[in-house]
Amino acid sequence: MSERINSEKITADLLRPIRLNKGFMVWMGVLSISLLVCLFAYFLQLRDGMIVTGLGDYVSWGMYISNFVFFVASSLIGMLISGVLSLLKQKWAAPLARIAEIIALAFAAVAGLVIVMDMGRPDRLLNVFIHGRIQSPILWDVTVITSYMIVSALFLYIPLIPDLKICAQKLTNIPPFARKIYEFLSLNWSDTPVQRELIRKSTRTIAILIIPIALAIHTVTSWLFANTSRAGWDSTIFGPYFVAGAFVAGTAAVIIAMFIFRKVYHLEEYITEFHFDKIGQLLVLVSLLYLYFNVNEYMVPAYKMKRADAFHIHELFVGSHALLFWITQLGGLIIPIILLILKPFRKPIPMLVISTMVLIGSWLKRYIIVIPTMEHPYLPVQNVPLKFSVYTPTLIEILVTIAPMIMVLLIITVLAKVIPIIPIHETIEHQQEIASKKK
Amino acid sequence: MNYPTKKLKSILAFSFMICFAFQSFAASWNVPEDQKTRNSYIKFDASTASQGEAIYNANCLSCHGDPGKGNNLKSLNPIPPELSSVGSQNLTDGELLYILNTGRAVMPSFKNSLSEEKMWHVISYLRGFNKNYVQTLSSFDPSKSKLVKLVANFDKAKNAFLIVAYANEKNGKKALVGSEVSLFVKRRFGNLQIDKTLKTDGSGQAEIVFPNDIPGNKTGELEVIVKLFDLNYGEVQTTSRLAIGVPTNKPGLNEQRAIWNVLEKAPYWILFLYSLGVISFLIFILYILNNLRKFRISGNK
Ligand code: HEC
Repeated sequence: MSERINSEKITADLLRPIRLNKGFMVWMGVLSISLLVCLFAYFLQLRDGMIVTGLGDYVSWGMYISNFVFFVASSLIGMLISGVLSLLKQKWAAPLARIAEIIALAFAAVAGLVIVMDMGRPDRLLNVFIHGRIQSPILWDVTVITSYMIVSALFLYIPLIPDLKICAQKLTNIPPFARKIYEFLSLNWSDTPVQRELIRKSTRTIAILIIPIALAIHTVTSWLFANTSRAGWDSTIFGPYFVAGAFVAGTAAVIIAMFIFRKVYHLEEYITEFHFDKIGQLLVLVSLLYLYFNVNEYMVPAYKMKRADAFHIHELFVGSHALLFWITQLGGLIIPIILLILKPFRKPIPMLVISTMVLIGSWLKRYIIVIPTMEHPYLPVQNVPLKFSVYTPTLIEILVTIAPMIMVLLIITVLAKVIPIIPIHETIEHQQEIASKKK
Repeated sequence: MNYPTKKLKSILAFSFMICFAFQSFAASWNVPEDQKTRNSYIKFDASTASQGEAIYNANCLSCHGDPGKGNNLKSLNPIPPELSSVGSQNLTDGELLYILNTGRAVMPSFKNSLSEEKMWHVISYLRGFNKNYVQTLSSFDPSKSKLVKLVANFDKAKNAFLIVAYANEKNGKKALVGSEVSLFVKRRFGNLQIDKTLKTDGSGQAEIVFPNDIPGNKTGELEVIVKLFDLNYGEVQTTSRLAIGVPTNKPGLNEQRAIWNVLEKAPYWILFLYSLGVISFLIFILYILNNLRKFRISGNK
């Protein structure tokens, strides 16, 4: 009897956020208006050309490409939490899986758009598909990111099927068309053993296959840099270095999202301090891994000090990018590691602050990977205005960079409004398991 | 306390003197007298200056900078002079032409890449930065070069070019004596000079030995250019194609399958790996979609 009440309470709790309220409207309004402002900046860029940006012959990859790398990085978290942790039977991560998947899908979906924003002639985008060369990492990147997006969508969708049925049945005040959509998407879920088995099998297959695909997207993204011979990019560890960095960024994004959803949707019973503690440990783990790669990435060239590398490292450590570099490395990696090792900091509010630092650091880190290398090409820079070789992003460029971030927030907000962000069916099953064990 | 500063001062003064010494040394070009007094047969005007500007921007700007702006490349040694400066403008037209022809150390010789006409255009452009400049036109008539007949015959036995130059004057053939002749082979990125520039002898002849190891096309053909410069008749050149090179038949870099080639010529291993990846992905997606189809069928409405 008590079990029944329990599952009804869970369903009610987790379905409660799915309704239009004032807070949601205001938040969407703010996002939409900001997006419009940013899109106007993009319109200016389309109208007047890339001249409105700080990009040029030397620094032709600027904020947009850093942003792109950041987006691809953040999207990797779906694979870590829903794939790796579930295969490792880390049950604590189960309630966070959907949040991670939503974040992954949103970032992966927008990443492609970020590239389009970096194009001077986006109308020629189709040429990539018509005349693309299989030999180019750019084509591989297009391929793997599209694949990852499809897999992430499936990974979000398949475990969601039972919950969609619950939505169709239990949500009272939704318009009939919405009910029809839930009904349609729930694919006749009727909790039969065959269906359970199919879901189990499919989810497991995806959980396994998403790992190579996710590794591929970020490794290939790193090859866009590492397959050139330029100082700061010419590195054999760029693949794992990027992947480790991606876990850091994604975990921080999930922590921020957890915090906000927990507060706004009143999910304190489902996302507990225990979850924060656990994911805090996870963040320490991936950050240490990333730190290890960082040490390797700077130590090896700094020991050899080949001419171009020496210049690059000098610029980063004590030169014109030093401030940004040390803010990023200390504020976005080392201080968070030190703090998060201490248990008192693995509490929701300190973790929100630390994760925000980490996420900002992750963005800046991409900036530091892309721009300084571009600023010193191998061939001497002669008789060009200083602004050609020193990159300063323009206001329009900054706005256009913010646009995709807003889009990600919009996608997350909308998805988290139409589907339960904590798996209902799974949570109930889990409770039942615990209950039956107790007996 | 006082002593070291004094010492420093004298060291400074001394190094200044050395610098000046080098400066003045660098400034003198020792142009032969007959070259120094040469003048342009082209009248300098706005049109020649603007043609000269284009040539300047393509060939000189990277070192000398924009005239008058002082953005010459200071990191070179010696520093390429600012060409609108009094020092440079004090050089005669003939000296400028000579400098362009010969070059010196860092300053390249443009003898093989710019024709005399183009050099005059550049000089015309540079003179635009000198208000006091008054041009002295040379009486040289460039149309006289049309009278010149330049013959270059390849002598197989000697493996040399026999060059004969004469002018068809009204009063008969006149051998061109003491004119400069040079021989070039056309390469992909410019002309390769063969041997030195020679002067024609008393009978208007010169002989240039041709090396036998110059790669030609499949049949060993080379494009050979003979250039002649005569103070009275100006510049003349002839071009001919001769099978005197080493036949070379290397496939072009873009003919084989390679990473840098077009899609149709991608290496097999990349085609294989990429297709393998895409096909496995599609199989996997089909498997999942099929699961979903079974799922839908097995459920009851
Ligand atoms: C690779 C760099 C470089 C390029 C290209 C170059 N110069 Fe120079 N030029 C120099 C240097 C260095 C000197 C000084 C040489 C010396 O004093 O030994 C010089 C000297 C000169 C001088 C003598 C000036 C004086 O006051 O003594 C003239 C005239 C000149 N260059 C004209 C040209 C023109 C015209 C072009 C293009 C057709 C050109 N240079 C291209 C480097 C360059």
